[in-house]
Order: sequence, then C-alpha cells, then structure tokens
Amino acid sequence: MADVRDIMELERPPTPEITRESILGADKVKKRISTGPKVPKRPEGMHREVYALLYNDTKDAPPLFPTDSIRNNGYKQTKIKLGMRKPRKWAWIPFTNPARTDNATFYHWRRPSDEPKEYPFAKFNKKVDLPSYTDVEYQQHLKCDGWTKEETDHLIDLAQRFDLRFIIMADRYDTEKYSKRSVEDLKDRFYKICGILAKLSGEKKIYTYDAEHERRRKEQLKKLQERKPEQIEEEQFLLGELKKIEARKKERERKTQDLQKLISQADNQNETPRKIDKKLPKKKIANPSRPSRVDTNHILQVIETAGIKFPDYKNSGVSLRSQRMKLPTNLGQKKSKGIEQILQELGLELNPTPTEEVCLHFNELRSDIVLLMEIKAALSTCEFELQSLRHQYEALNPGKTLTIPPQLLSGNSESEIKVASGEIIDVVGSPGTPSNT
Amino acid sequence: MSLPTDFGPDSGGRMKGLCIIKPIVYGNIARYFGKKREEDGHTHQWTVYVKPYNNEDMSGYVKKVHFKLHESYANQNRIVVKPPYEISETGWGEFEIVIKIHFHDPNERPVTLYHILKLFHSGNTQDVTMELGKGLVSESYDEIVFQDPTQLMHHLLTNTKQLTLARWEHNTDFEAKKEKTLKAILEAKAKTRAEISMLKNKLKLAKETISNFKEEIAKSQDNQFLV
Repeated sequence: MADVRDIMELERPPTPEITRESILGADKVKKRISTGPKVPKRPEGMHREVYALLYNDTKDAPPLFPTDSIRNNGYKQTKIKLGMRKPRKWAWIPFTNPARTDNATFYHWRRPSDEPKEYPFAKFNKKVDLPSYTDVEYQQHLKCDGWTKEETDHLIDLAQRFDLRFIIMADRYDTEKYSKRSVEDLKDRFYKICGILAKLSGEKKIYTYDAEHERRRKEQLKKLQERKPEQIEEEQFLLGELKKIEARKKERERKTQDLQKLISQADNQNETPRKIDKKLPKKKIANPSRPSRVDTNHILQVIETAGIKFPDYKNSGVSLRSQRMKLPTNLGQKKSKGIEQILQELGLELNPTPTEEVCLHFNELRSDIVLLMEIKAALSTCEFELQSLRHQYEALNPGKTLTIPPQLLSGNSESEIKVASGEIIDVVGSPGTPSNT
Repeated sequence: MSLPTDFGPDSGGRMKGLCIIKPIVYGNIARYFGKKREEDGHTHQWTVYVKPYNNEDMSGYVKKVHFKLHESYANQNRIVVKPPYEISETGWGEFEIVIKIHFHDPNERPVTLYHILKLFHSGNTQDVTMELGKGLVSESYDEIVFQDPTQLMHHLLTNTKQLTLARWEHNTDFEAKKEKTLKAILEAKAKTRAEISMLKNKLKLAKETISNFKEEIAKSQDNQFLV
C-alpha cells in the first residue's frame, strides 16, 4: 500500500493507533508524532527507485546525497540536449600514397573542409640505409673467398628488396645461379661488408656478427625443440632421480655422523672410571670388541655426564640438595617424559630422598636413560636403513638377498625397558647437548 | 649468642673448598576434627614445620623461617624466629606452602622449600599417632648445602648446640628410606648400563652390517655396469 502511495506521490496518513480509546470509539484521536530520525525528503524529480537505492530500511544516512538537484534542475530533465547545428559533410576523395612508387590512386572518406594533406600513414614506410660500394672498393676491400662480386650484388639487392628480412632473403636466394646459403651465411657476409665499409668511412663503432655462435645457438634450440615426448619424460625422470640421490646421500652422511657421536659417547661412558663407583656391585661391563679410545680426556668426561648435562653446583653459596636433581630446562619435554616413564617402569620415585649419593646416582641414571633412549632411536634408524639397503640389493640382484643379523631385528629385541614408540622416530641430536625438541 | 669480633659480616671472604651440609626435614601433620566445624567449615587442624634432621639447634645459624600460607588466611606470611619452626592452623583444603629459610649472615642467600600441605591420605602420607588421636604426616627430607661458607657462617654452622636432651626422632624413618632408594637406583643404573652396552654392541654390529651391505650393493652395481 505504501508503495502505491509513493508512486502516486501521496502523503501517507499516519496509521491509526490502536488504543483503548480508538477501539472504544473515543473522540480524542491523538496525532501520532514520529519519533524516528527525520529522513531527508526525496529530491524533486528523482525517481522513486533511485531514491530507494539511496535509503535502506533502517533509514541510515545515504553514503552520497544529491545536492545539485535544485540548482541545475537535476532530475527533471528527461532528454539529453542534442546539438542543433547541421552535420558536416563527408566526401569520397582520391589520394596518393607517397610511400608507393607506382603512384596508384585510392579513395577514402574525408571531410572536404579538412585541408588536403600528405597521406598520414606514409611516414611509417621506413627504408633501410644499405651499404653501397663501387667496383674499385670491392676489388680493394670486399673480396672474399667463396663470394663473387655478382653474388654479393645479388645479396645487397635482396637486402634492398626485402628490407633486411634475412629469412625471406634466404628463401628468395637465387639458388640456380648460386649455391644455397643459410641465413647465417647471408648475415655474416652482409655484416662484414657493412663493417668494412663503416671502417673505411671512419666510423669507430663497428658491429660484428658471430656467425659460428649463432649457428650453435640455433642448433641447440633445434635439438631442444625436436626432443621426443619419451626423451622429455626420461630427462625429467633422471633429474628427479638425481635429486633423490643427493638427498639420500646427505641423509646418510648426517646419520653416520650422529652414530659416530653416539658410539664414542657410549664408549666414554663405560670406560671412564667413576670415583663413586665403589659401592656399585662389581658388574663391570665387558666390551671386548671396542677399541679403547678415550684415555687422555677422561677426567673431563667424569664431570660431563653423557645423556644429560646437569649444571654444576660449584658456585659458592647455599643451595638445596634437591635442586641438583632438577632436570635441566633445555632437555625438552619429550625426553623428560621418556625419563619419567622409564623411571616408573623401574619402580623408582620421581623425586627420591636427596642425599649426596642418591643425587649423584639418580642423575647418572637419568643421564644413562637418555643415552639409552638415543641409542635405541639410532638402532631403529639403522634397522630401517638395513631394510632399505636390502631392498636396494634385491632390486639390483633379483632372486638374491642379504641377511640382516637376527639380533638386529626389532622383533626379537631383548631389551627389557621399552621405549615408547614416539621416542624412536627422530632423536638425532647429539646426546651431549640435549636438543630442544 | 656471643660472636667473636674478629670476623663480622663484612670481614669475610668465603672459605673456599669447604662444604657443610645440614640435613633437614620439612612437612606437615594433620588431624581430622571428625566433623565439619560449624562456624567456618574447617575440617582439619594442621601443623607445618621445618626441623633439623639431627638433634641440633638451628637457631644458631637460621635467622628466621618464613611460611607463606594460602592467601585466604589472615596474614598469610608467618615468620618464626626460634625453634620449633612451625605454624599451626585449621582449614579445609590442601595448598602449597612456600617455606623460606633465612640465615644469620646476610651474604648467604635464603633457601626456598615448597611443600604441599596434606590433609588427606595419598601416596606420600602415612599415619601417625598424635596427642589428640590419629593423624597423618607428609614430610620430606632435604639437605641444605653450604658451599664455601663465609667465615661467620662457618663459625655458626660448626658451633651448634643440641636441641633437646631427649631422643630426637622423626615420623618417617629416613635412614631406611635413603638406603632403599639408593639400592633401587643403583640396581636400575646397573641394569640400564648393561642394556646400554648390549645395545651399543648391537649398534656396532648394525653399523658393520650397513657398511657390508653398502659394499655388496656397490659391487653388484659395478657388475651391472660391466654387464
């Protein structure tokens, strides 16, 4: 209803308010006063649909508001004011193109009122400056093996005719009279002539043309272009393989280094005499196969525990014994969780009664546990590598295989302490400096 | 306490290489009222304490012990300057008590202990007989290590008096516990060491096998190229 009223441009009477009085037919009809924000009036002449675009239902202020409607009679004008002058005339007029040599006459539409000018597109017909030489000059300077004067003239003539488009020149070359020449041959001869003549006329800047290089370049492009799909595929495949090989090589080197570190660490640990080992039950671990390597710096190694480096409490001052059993914060959560788990499996307290001895051995134990976890991780890496090497071997020698020593297979591991499978994956940091993984 | 005058707090360098250890026991005992108290809902009476492990008067070298209770207690910072270093309170909940031990020599930094007040039985608590019936105790052993003490501190630490003429004992038999713990740790260590050496040999074998395999592969690759 409101729309229709709008279209008719009728003022909308206020909706009669339903009150007790109106229902009861009371005479007093209150004039409803609009409390909402005053909406700007629709400019005169503006179409209702346009106006509706400016104002939405919430009656927000419009982003743009017409201000010129009154001054310019803006929305009232219904038609564009078109010019009242008479149209100018066009005529079918002949013209000549000075770029043409044949004086051919063509016609085009032009206003007769415009001044007749030179054909404006004639200037785009550029001509190259070509070298010219006399017989004497040729005899003195331009003689060349394999080129006669006639053939050279023919070349210059072609250059003239085809504006140095060498591809076309090679195509139109007079092969009946002269031998077939390639684009490079033509260019080579032409630019040499240009060079010599330029030198004679005393120019300093002389262009040279490396025909040999150009030939090689084209040959290469041709080869690249003429590869067969299979060849392209093979090339991609080989490139991929190369990348893989390099990645694997890097990985292997890294692992070998880690392994080396671990082994030497383990060696150090078992071979260093420990001052407080007196109370240890005499279960000296025998390692006959290992060459003893560390002798000189074992004093250092006593202080440096292998798996965890606990801070020294050599500083003066008061401290609590239990503080020395705190795991270093740089150990990483994964390792501390692993230690916790193993300690629980061993039936040990996480915070034992801190006496000096307990403290020392407890720290050493946890250090050993870290080392153990790392060795286990390394072992599983090794096992994985062995498997992959075996596959590689089997691929190379069909029907043959390599035997992995049975004790290296994780299936019959004799280890009593299980490491959570999560621990095995990526412990590669050197055990001496616990990584922050 | 009479102090010799030749070394005051400022006189002193530290006595290098010297290390004095003072074992202590800290924790709490708690007793259940038997019912919830009407006025404030408290259920337990408890006492948190720090005491020397050996029979000696800690006040010789301890200036004060600072107990920091839960913030819901009126004046949560309680300071005790002479033995027994303990605070008795009532309450209904367990919380962490921060115990700070200050020493007479201001050059020695105070040490901080953390104790979870225990009112209910759990893994680390045990029954104890108290004056007013049964209760529980949760206590820990620790050692205060004085590395290179100052001269003043050294004097104080080495000249302590007995705390009591009576038998000085604790609710927990720490000697037995120490022995048990050490034994368990040593066993675990030996076990771990043995396993390490076994795994290490395995690792060696693995490495050798890997290099053998690699040689084999290299050989067969060469053969392939020859064929």
